[in-house]
Amino acid sequence: MTDRAAPYGRAFEPPETRWRTRDIVVTAVIAVAFGVVFWAWDTVWNVLAPLFAVAKPLEYVISGVWLMPAVIAGLIVRKPGAALFAELVAAIVSALLGNVWGLDVVLSGFVQGVGAELVFAFVLYRSFGLPIALLAGAVAGIGEALHDLPVYYPSNGVAFQAAVAGLEILSGLVVAGYGGWLLVGALRRSGVLEGFPS
Amino acid sequence: MSFLPAPLEPVRPALLTRVAPVTRLVVGIAWLVVVVLPAGPGVPLALTVAGAAALGLLSGLPLARVPARLAPLGLAALGLGVLTVLVNPANGDPAAPSVLLAGPIRIAGDAIAAGITIALRLAVIALVSVLVFATSDPTGLADSLVQQWHAPYRFAYGTLAALRIVPLLAADWAASGGVQRLRGIEPGGVGGRIRSFGRRLLVLLVTAIRRAERMALAMDARGFDADLPRGVYRPVRLGRLDLLVLVAGIGVAVAAFAIGR
Repeated sequence: MTDRAAPYGRAFEPPETRWRTRDIVVTAVIAVAFGVVFWAWDTVWNVLAPLFAVAKPLEYVISGVWLMPAVIAGLIVRKPGAALFAELVAAIVSALLGNVWGLDVVLSGFVQGVGAELVFAFVLYRSFGLPIALLAGAVAGIGEALHDLPVYYPSNGVAFQAAVAGLEILSGLVVAGYGGWLLVGALRRSGVLEGFPS
Repeated sequence: MSFLPAPLEPVRPALLTRVAPVTRLVVGIAWLVVVVLPAGPGVPLALTVAGAAALGLLSGLPLARVPARLAPLGLAALGLGVLTVLVNPANGDPAAPSVLLAGPIRIAGDAIAAGITIALRLAVIALVSVLVFATSDPTGLADSLVQQWHAPYRFAYGTLAALRIVPLLAADWAASGGVQRLRGIEPGGVGGRIRSFGRRLLVLLVTAIRRAERMALAMDARGFDADLPRGVYRPVRLGRLDLLVLVAGIGVAVAAFAIGR
């Protein structure tokens, strides 16, 4: 499927930055799929709910699931803007599906997407290994904390805020970063990513 | 798609359904910014009242169904409010005037004010979200973003095409759960549920990406990527009403901030 065969060595070619239709639709569909999955996430959430009632910050152990679209789309599409576009679309889709946090989800999706995007941009969209995936998840988690602390927890004290932010970043690293990397690897082995650079 | 709620849509024409989606979006963002700025409970209280009034008088939404939609958020707002009262550095500050003393527990007046602020902030976020998104259908929003904000059409309509498969994905998700049960895989415990969740996620993404590839091919076959000047099928125009809503909406936000703080 490589219509840009590289007889002179791929290393000297700049990464292709124009988005093909398949890049756009696949990124949007990944985001939409996560919009649907966020609903189903309740099944896991409900099992853990009693635990969170005891210690509120613990709920952020699994908050990394919300950051997965950015990491996964960034790793698959490998184009500038993929992480931000996917996270923003996932947020807008969940708002359109009737999420009551709507507009605020879009805001937080934007900040999270920018976080992951910064990591992919930092390596000039050339490196997509495990370290970059972990870092993208963690920095998306920093973006999440930058939104959540002033909006939801402005007056809960530094210790509480540090616990929430730390767990968000850790969960971004493990769930979105490592989990996203595992998922992309499994998708690649399944053969559905043949139309994408790897 | 049984687990997706029925959409909340306007049932009669109203002021907010007659303006362009981007107008509602700009006003909604202005309200969101104002309510997130650090201030006392006065600002979110004023915007809650204004938002409820707009919902009742200007939105055209079926009001009987609104409470059910907002109920989960009411619980979340209450929970976060209580948390903010209990976990608050002001409670341990001897200089802050205390309101409640019960044994070792001491609640400061500042903590109560902070709790009310946060709970009302969530109420405003919910009201604004319903006002902006329940009055917009996805197609209208995409049309307006492309025509008024010059959003790149391939991204806007590509996303709209992707949105079309939500019911299919919801059915796929249910089917993958059914298949697991059929094979006798019973997720037990927290770890088992998370593993089962991951497996189903992979299946969902594989089918979703296959669908997306087919869709992209079909769209390109019809010249979606032609990069030629495009006409507009559903024009969205900005009129005086948009200006009125914009000025009034932002005016309410600014006034709430000026009065409330």
